[in-house]
Amino acid sequence: MKKVKNRGAFVLLIALFCALGLALYCARYVLHGREWASFSGGGTTMGLLYDRNDILLADAGAKTYSDDYTTRVANFHVTGDYIGNVGTGALTRLTGELAGFDLINGTYHPQVHKAHLTVDANLNNEAYAALAGRKGSVQIVNYKTGELLCMVSSPSMDPNTPDNIPDGAYLNRAISAAYVPGSVFKLVTLAAALETIDDIYDRTFYCGGSVMVGADQLNCTGVHGNQTIEQALANSCNCAFSELAQTLGSDVLLAYAKKLGITESHAIDGIYTTAGSIDPYEKGNINLSWSAIGQSTDLVCPNTMLRLVSAIGNGGTLVEPTMVGHGRSQKTTKLLDADTAEKMASMMNYNVQYAYGAGSFPGLNVCAKTGTAEVGDGTDHAWFVGFLDDEAHPYAFVVQVERGGGGLSVAGAIANRVLQKAVAN
Amino acid sequence: MTGTAVITLTRYLLPILAAWVVARCLRSMLSEKYEPEVWGHLIFPDASAAPLPHWECVIGRAKTSDIVVNAPDVSRIHAVLIRNDKGIWRIFDINSRGGVYVGKEKVPRRGLEVKNGDKIRLASTTLGFADVTAGELRSVDKSRTAAGTSINPGATLLVLSLFQALIMLQYCFTAKDEYLIVTCLSFFALLAIEWLCYLLIRSIRRNGFEVETIAFFLTTLGLSIVASSTPEALVKTLLLLIMGVALFFAMGWWLRDLRRAKALRWPAVIAAMGFLFVNLILSEYVFGAKNWLYIGGFSLQPSELVKVLYIYAGAASLERLFARRNLLFFIAFSAICVMALALMGDYGTAVIFFVTFLIISFMRSGSIATVFLAISGAAMAGFLVFTMKPYIAQRFATWGHVWADPYGAGFQQTRALSAAASGGLFGHGAGEGWLKNIVAANTDMVFAVICEELGLIVAIIAALSIIALALFVFRSASHGRSTYYVIAAGASVALLMIQMALNIFGSLDILPFTGVTFPFVSKGGTSLLSCWMLLAFIKAADTRKDASFVVKRAEIKQRKRGAKA
Repeated sequence: MKKVKNRGAFVLLIALFCALGLALYCARYVLHGREWASFSGGGTTMGLLYDRNDILLADAGAKTYSDDYTTRVANFHVTGDYIGNVGTGALTRLTGELAGFDLINGTYHPQVHKAHLTVDANLNNEAYAALAGRKGSVQIVNYKTGELLCMVSSPSMDPNTPDNIPDGAYLNRAISAAYVPGSVFKLVTLAAALETIDDIYDRTFYCGGSVMVGADQLNCTGVHGNQTIEQALANSCNCAFSELAQTLGSDVLLAYAKKLGITESHAIDGIYTTAGSIDPYEKGNINLSWSAIGQSTDLVCPNTMLRLVSAIGNGGTLVEPTMVGHGRSQKTTKLLDADTAEKMASMMNYNVQYAYGAGSFPGLNVCAKTGTAEVGDGTDHAWFVGFLDDEAHPYAFVVQVERGGGGLSVAGAIANRVLQKAVAN
Repeated sequence: MTGTAVITLTRYLLPILAAWVVARCLRSMLSEKYEPEVWGHLIFPDASAAPLPHWECVIGRAKTSDIVVNAPDVSRIHAVLIRNDKGIWRIFDINSRGGVYVGKEKVPRRGLEVKNGDKIRLASTTLGFADVTAGELRSVDKSRTAAGTSINPGATLLVLSLFQALIMLQYCFTAKDEYLIVTCLSFFALLAIEWLCYLLIRSIRRNGFEVETIAFFLTTLGLSIVASSTPEALVKTLLLLIMGVALFFAMGWWLRDLRRAKALRWPAVIAAMGFLFVNLILSEYVFGAKNWLYIGGFSLQPSELVKVLYIYAGAASLERLFARRNLLFFIAFSAICVMALALMGDYGTAVIFFVTFLIISFMRSGSIATVFLAISGAAMAGFLVFTMKPYIAQRFATWGHVWADPYGAGFQQTRALSAAASGGLFGHGAGEGWLKNIVAANTDMVFAVICEELGLIVAIIAALSIIALALFVFRSASHGRSTYYVIAAGASVALLMIQMALNIFGSLDILPFTGVTFPFVSKGGTSLLSCWMLLAFIKAADTRKDASFVVKRAEIKQRKRGAKA
């Protein structure tokens, strides 16, 4: 009997196998439960999607959208659609939020579940109106909390009339595209220069309207004469930034582009943004100069620009952008030293005060950089990036208009209009 | 609105009650005192006495012998002493070198009867044999702790009843109007059946009801799934339950008499082969497997009944364990069963049989080599199946990658995972899920349905309750009267566990999807019947005092013997 009893331990082996399997499932449940429960092909009931002020964007249970045409169109890219045409929309990518999943209760809710986006639908409406049919995007983030308050991409469409689809309407240009950045990229070069060139403030940068790099001539937008680094940024002087580029070299420039997140893809609540790219060139090659100026083969996603100006506004530490729920984003990333961020902030403020004209932004304390990026066919992408130095309204913004023309005149005007609305709220 | 409030409240109570039921069963099964029975003594030359704790005892030099005799000329396993339920002892010589003698007579191959006061000689060591007297038997019996003294089985059943009442309450708000009454009546019927069983057990002065309580707990979950997915089948399910319980008692009663049980082992083998043969000839392919038999409007899965017959025929009492010929017959029988199942395309059941075979053959022979040999043989057979049956290979290819094809090969598993996760720890409430609408959700994906409607905690407790049975069987094994009962109980609980594991882990993509049933929970006629019959084997190994109706009480038997003498 004893023998057979000992052999019975075989049964315990099977019991152990069962227990381990159950433990494995529990672990997987903790890790993947959210994505499983929110699998759109299943039967999980989805809830209601609201903006930050309880304006209904979509009823995912009934598969309907807002009743208001303007709200539907202006918020189309953040809301997304039920078919998944907008690959980065909340209805496709934030199903876990829509299902209201948590590990304790699963997707059980006594009442209909409500999910909130951080965006302000009315602000989006204003931004969409400001873009006025031009291709481009507007983004505003609260750099202290990481909440995306505004994210609009144009052209857009009404999801209720899917027959009428403008070309490229499914693309969210704010996060899923990369463009020639032009002079806004000078912020990256500047950050590298401030942190690696010790006597940067003592240097004088001469601009005679053009400069020779090796055998090639690099033209500037004007004749700026002798400038401090501060003046060079305000003038957006190509000669000065060419000099910085040749001093820094490709290695440093690329390292900073990577460190500041320009060439990386970032997750906004699990929605990935497009990574930018910059090619390396030898010292003495004119393309090294052009790439430090944001031309050459540079490509930058508007949202990564938003992360950079957001970090500058917040003293060098980025509060990672979020578009879900209310309140502060949990994650921060240190992009710059506090000292560097402060220097850049004051230079960006100087830009507005002495170059762009504070009168263009009545009542706003703007720190910014313009970009008028040559596309190569005679047209320019208009960029305007920066933030408000304002405790009550800590907003960072990026406005980008494809082939829109001048950075200040086109993108700057849109930025002013949307920011005025944001501050008035 | 009241419905929402009721569910919001009761969904937290269900796991508590479920845990309470299973914890009470587990505690009484594992912590109650389990003193050995004593059926006689062997008196050593130094006048010390060794008690005989089982009806079947190994005598030898090996430490694992029940009676250890430390003499150099005694073989490691020298002899086997066996008592039948008439109280008659026989001794068998297990190929010993020194031989076994009773008095002057050498023990032949078929054994020799031993009477009270006989001298048993093993090689040069002589042991006195003292059969248990009626007085001894009574005093040992008195000193043993009766089952159910520390944890009252009636109270456990009461907690289970509360659990069932709460599920019924949830259905009061979630059931479709036309099925509301039949759903409530079904739960009342379940309550009636389990309490009748309890009263029946009590009326024959037995107090062990944990195994039955666990079965009724699982049956409750099964009934809830039927009420949720196919309420029109509730009455049929209840009728099957009654049949299952009746078979449980019938089988248990049959197993009480070991000689009677053993006498029908060969007919069981023939019946098993007959079932499989008829199945192969007559049945049609359903979902890729040819394991259904339709007789006059009733559908039957013969392979489910063969499971019971297989264990019935495969278990063996101690004197047969040491004969290689017996094991060879068993291996041949097993091979035929597994091959027949493979021919039918019922690979899930074939796997279950194979693991049961491993358990039985290991418990019979104790040989790891046999097990390895069997596994490597099976691996080769499995490889052949892969190459010949593309849909089996497909299931293995899908395994671990179900999310790569959620609308094709991974359809069922992805739905199961999604629904199971959406239930969280406490579920959406009985009848409130969506997975039940997917094909085969109430058989192959029941774990996920429970997770979705009653929550992960209840589902895990359901799985743990079967593991609890395994722990109990292992504990009982050292006190069993015959190896026949111990092997049958071990094989039964192993079979239940493997079936459960294939069901749960197959639907959750932890193992390939096989489509076997979760014991007692999955909807299905024949499988429910076979589960209840397997339970009788487990009851037969429970020798706690006054615990199991399958085990005859020592006192009653002895009194009769005393009267004769």
